[in-house]
Amino acid sequence: MSSGALLPVLILAVMVLTFGALLIVGTGLLGPRKVIKSAAKEMPYECGLPGQETKDTKVSVRFYLTAILFILFDIEIIFMYPWAIQYMDSLKDGSGGYMLGVMGVFVGLFVIGLIWEVKSKALDWK
Amino acid sequence: MTLTAQDLLFYILGGLSLASALGVLLMTNPIYSALCLALTMVSLAGLYASMQAWFVAGVQLIVYAGAVMVLFVMVLMLFDLKSEIKAFSRGAVAGFMKLVAVGLMTGAFLAAIYNSADTLLGTSLAAHVDGTVSTKALAQLLFGKYVFAFEAMGVLLLIIAIGAVALSRIEGGTHADE
Amino acid sequence: MPQIQLGLGVDSTETIINVIKMFALFLLMVQLVPLLVWVERRGSAFIQNRYGPNRVGPLGLLQLLADAVKFLFKEEFRPKKGVAFMYYFAPIMALLPGALSFASIPLSVPITLQGENWGPYNFVLQGYDLGIGIVFILGISSLGVYSLLMAGWGSSNKYSLMGALRASAQAISYELALSLSLVGILMVYGTFSFTEIVAQQQGPLTFNFMGQQQVWSFLPNWGIFYQPLGALLFFAATFAEANRLPFDLPEAEGELVAGFHTEYAGFKLLMFYIGEYGHMLVASCLLATFYFGGYNIPGVTPAEVTAFFASYVGEGNLSQILTAVTYHVSLLLRVLLFLWVFIHVRWTLPRFRYDQLMDLGWKTMLPWALFNACATAVILWLFQS
Repeated sequence: MSSGALLPVLILAVMVLTFGALLIVGTGLLGPRKVIKSAAKEMPYECGLPGQETKDTKVSVRFYLTAILFILFDIEIIFMYPWAIQYMDSLKDGSGGYMLGVMGVFVGLFVIGLIWEVKSKALDWK
Repeated sequence: MTLTAQDLLFYILGGLSLASALGVLLMTNPIYSALCLALTMVSLAGLYASMQAWFVAGVQLIVYAGAVMVLFVMVLMLFDLKSEIKAFSRGAVAGFMKLVAVGLMTGAFLAAIYNSADTLLGTSLAAHVDGTVSTKALAQLLFGKYVFAFEAMGVLLLIIAIGAVALSRIEGGTHADE
Repeated sequence: MPQIQLGLGVDSTETIINVIKMFALFLLMVQLVPLLVWVERRGSAFIQNRYGPNRVGPLGLLQLLADAVKFLFKEEFRPKKGVAFMYYFAPIMALLPGALSFASIPLSVPITLQGENWGPYNFVLQGYDLGIGIVFILGISSLGVYSLLMAGWGSSNKYSLMGALRASAQAISYELALSLSLVGILMVYGTFSFTEIVAQQQGPLTFNFMGQQQVWSFLPNWGIFYQPLGALLFFAATFAEANRLPFDLPEAEGELVAGFHTEYAGFKLLMFYIGEYGHMLVASCLLATFYFGGYNIPGVTPAEVTAFFASYVGEGNLSQILTAVTYHVSLLLRVLLFLWVFIHVRWTLPRFRYDQLMDLGWKTMLPWALFNACATAVILWLFQS
């Protein structure tokens, strides 16, 4: 846990990336040399019909909504983490009730948000 | 001259964040720009961690790299703006606005560096900070001294949650028929 | 030429061993994949009254080797409309989250080795100890979504894109329940460090009740007794994170061919599977570490185990190594059990529909995880005061 503790993570990341890249290059070298190319083979996969690939796919707005709500709730949850590891210490030095109140208000807001999402059918996927 | 792990980390991560930040600007395809921005976030998280700010690094990784940038990439990939690669408009007004924005940004950065230079240059990094201990110290500040800011942020997040849902339910717009 | 101090050990020997150790951990993860594939195929065959792979080698064990060789020699193929960089980079990215997370989990007790003219070297059986293990793993695994999105977009296929979209929406939805279910564990143990969490789970079940310490010596001091609901939620959410049945909607073959890896074949496909099994492995290790005592053996302490071995082989390095191996096996037994549960569930539960899946994540697991956190906080407060 010294100040260079992150270095092993970087080393491992580089190792893994190299390993993956070598495998991909390796399969390219080891695979069969004579490759039959045809238009049908290189088409995007489709079940029997000719592919109808239009580029501007319209996707339900719910996916974006889910992602936005995820960001919000993720931030709220990440704020509980420092609180959670401090909580036991606070209980021991007597300020546990205060800490519980502080987080109670925050979680109350969280719950209001969650109830709003459910009631407004933003989370319904029908 | 000895190169410690700390220095090595700084050079690697600093170079990576600079290169990927440049990539955000220079890439013509918005998807690659967004991915470069994600890489910038990851290397910034690494820089925080190399300065012993373990929890901040984790938050940077979870919130920015793992949530905000995922939303960006998702939206860009699904709209697939190939025909709108020139989405960045050109023109006299737009150019002027860009210059103003860059000027403001530069000013803010210079001011931040100037104001914090005295405190930053004097302090040296502790050799060893335990992530749990420093996060507990952070918690005491956040839930003690800055508790009102913390609760206000809870209210802010609630407002955003309600606003996002309200916006998504507006009728009309370009895809109104679907 | 500047001198480089990596800070990985006291001298070059320890540095080299530490670097090799990290790569060995990665290879451990990679080699577990064919083994698990064999267990999965063989196990599912027995569940379905079939034989499964039993021709190549004893019990069909060499089938996996044959498969790997076949994958290596398959034709290199890339869809013409695909985006080359994304298409090739996505499977490589898929390896990262599993490998980086797995290396940060302690697999056995730390040992100290010393010789006549070397050492003492302190070894931990983990790639690196960052001290904020839980936050690190959550951060790294949240990057896994990029691999899915890049694969889906790089293939330029609507099935891939839809699969990637579903997979990422599912992954982020269950990440909420996952990270919220861990809040209870953080409250009980008050630390981010895995080593610390495992150390606190040693000995008999001990807790404060109305200000008085209670010791239940017939139960081990495991997290599952403090956080039963949290354990259940965590386990369920990891299924969704690893895209395993009943949460394998991204590759629902009835609707989406094979999801985000429709256009992949050969070793590139296998790399996605390495990523998926890596997820399962990390999930099983975390479940054991948080809720089932980690590498602890109920009833004995590491010092007692070392003393036991020392009485046979004498004090010194050998007894230390034997202790580490024993504790590693103790963890491995739990991990293998959970991995088997992962595989068994696949043939027990049917797949959800997509709206059911999102409902379960947002309207059932998230509120219950929130309830778990609140209940833990209140109960701790009542018991302590």
